[in-house]
Amino acid sequence: MIGYLSLGLLALLSLSIPVGIVLFLLGFGIDAFFSPFPLIKGLGNLVWSTSNNATLIAIPFFVLLGEILVRSGIAARTYAALDKWVSWLPGGLVHANIATATMFSATSGSSVATAATVATVAMPQAERLGYDPKLFSGAIAAGGTLGIMIPPSINLIVYGFLTQTSIPQLFLAGLVPGVTLALGFIVITMIICAVRPALGGERRMFPLLVMVRALAELVPIFLLFAVIIGSIYQGWATPTEAAAVGVAGAIVIAAIFGGVSTRMFTESVLGTVKITSMIMLVVIAASFLNFTLASAGLGRELEAFLDSLGLSPLNTILVIVCMYIVLGFFIETLSLMVVTIPIIVPIVIEQGYDPIWFGILMIVLIEMALITPPVGLNLYVVQGARREGRMSEVMLGAIPYILAMLAMAAALIAFPGIALYLPNSLSGS
Amino acid sequence: MVDTILLRLRSVNRWVAILIGVLLLACVVFVLADIVLRRLGSTLGGTDEISGYVMAIATSWGMGYTLTELGHVRIDILRCRVRSRGRALFDLVSMLALSGVITLIAIRGWPVLERSLANGSRANTPLETPLALVQAPWLAGWVWFALTAWLTFLAALFLIARGEFERSEAAIGTFGEADALR
Repeated sequence: MIGYLSLGLLALLSLSIPVGIVLFLLGFGIDAFFSPFPLIKGLGNLVWSTSNNATLIAIPFFVLLGEILVRSGIAARTYAALDKWVSWLPGGLVHANIATATMFSATSGSSVATAATVATVAMPQAERLGYDPKLFSGAIAAGGTLGIMIPPSINLIVYGFLTQTSIPQLFLAGLVPGVTLALGFIVITMIICAVRPALGGERRMFPLLVMVRALAELVPIFLLFAVIIGSIYQGWATPTEAAAVGVAGAIVIAAIFGGVSTRMFTESVLGTVKITSMIMLVVIAASFLNFTLASAGLGRELEAFLDSLGLSPLNTILVIVCMYIVLGFFIETLSLMVVTIPIIVPIVIEQGYDPIWFGILMIVLIEMALITPPVGLNLYVVQGARREGRMSEVMLGAIPYILAMLAMAAALIAFPGIALYLPNSLSGS
Repeated sequence: MVDTILLRLRSVNRWVAILIGVLLLACVVFVLADIVLRRLGSTLGGTDEISGYVMAIATSWGMGYTLTELGHVRIDILRCRVRSRGRALFDLVSMLALSGVITLIAIRGWPVLERSLANGSRANTPLETPLALVQAPWLAGWVWFALTAWLTFLAALFLIARGEFERSEAAIGTFGEADALR
């Protein structure tokens, strides 16, 4: 069954059949060949019960939140404000790229839209101020990936839903690694630009008054983030309710800064529906595949398979990490996560690892997939926003940040506490 | 004729998507109202249940829009390596697989609604929502998705048969990753 799954998955995916449909087809195959009783009878009920779910509605809410912030021009304003605060560092504007991308993809979870916006706003400045295009664009691509780690993250919601782990706990677990990675990106940029100042462009100091005024533009966004995360952790709102508060907050912020229009709303809504349905087709299909696999006895087979391999738990994790890195070259983020969860997560739990910890490790690896060629969505997005230069420049520029992610993955394996300390300390009290 | 079908499908699905957006925004307002009332020591009750229904209906009806916008993710690692004739073949195969699977889902969805109708089932909640009331629009969404898929498939098949690969690609191809954002 494991062989059938892996081969079938690769064959059908490479036929360019939509990922969700591939998972359904595999589920039908498991039902036909491996299950003692017909599972297809449950298809309708399963599709109904998967989509009739109050937790998953957090997904369109968070997407909508991000769309509103980006399309009402708040992202561009934030970029300008952050520029005033970080451009004195070695590397100057590159830090504004990372910080803006982090903040926006953090509030929305839509890393692609963020990377696109930041790239559009930032690129003209890079040319004017003489930045190295490689480092500059690589930093935007890398910064955008952080949104799927720093809560609220749509990918963590999907992971929590499919593995039945607590979404607030996952959010807590992602906080420290996500912020650490963002800081790591900034430190790396500073080191690179301290060694080779030519890459970093001109460093600029702004008068204190300008900085303070810029702060006023940043406060609403920080407040929005704090309200969303705070209300989940305080336990007075579910992720869904926090997301609804976030949407309302985004509309208020957009209204204050004058970006509200019918056109903005229509575009935000259309973008939201498109992304949500894309995610949901894959999620519904994955939960159908999960259901057929569990009914056909994947658990027993996996146990036997692992015994026959005779790997220690640590070696198993290392093999899994390598597999994600290789698959990440070719498969896009959400698909990579969803197609591997039904097989990989049971293995990991079987070996005695914490599913929340593994969720975070998996997210780091999947973030890497966003910026590893040939299929790295953020690389293409950033390249698309540039008017000149070659794709390979963006890829080269992303390499230092990929190394940072690898270091984070290693750190998570060596010290699981990086992810687990916060959720454990809060649930224990 | 083919163009009219494809254009109509796109514009109808666009309107459907806008309606879904209104539904989602209404749901946001509803959830917010409940949070505020709960702080005041009261509650509307049933927000979770209603959010769930909204999600089910929004999901099924949004699928067709995502399809017409070429939004359902495909891995085009082999597809992008062949000429237009080969790409057309990849597109047809994947559209056929999609239309078939979605039709199966729509067919298998009928017993769910049928049972709720026959038993007059109500949700096991304080609201006691008649399930058929929410399952009927949910199922209709899947039927509409299947219909959109088959019509798009047939239109593209027609275009390919006439050798108009560029136009078929606009209907059932993939977005280059760079074009993924409008």
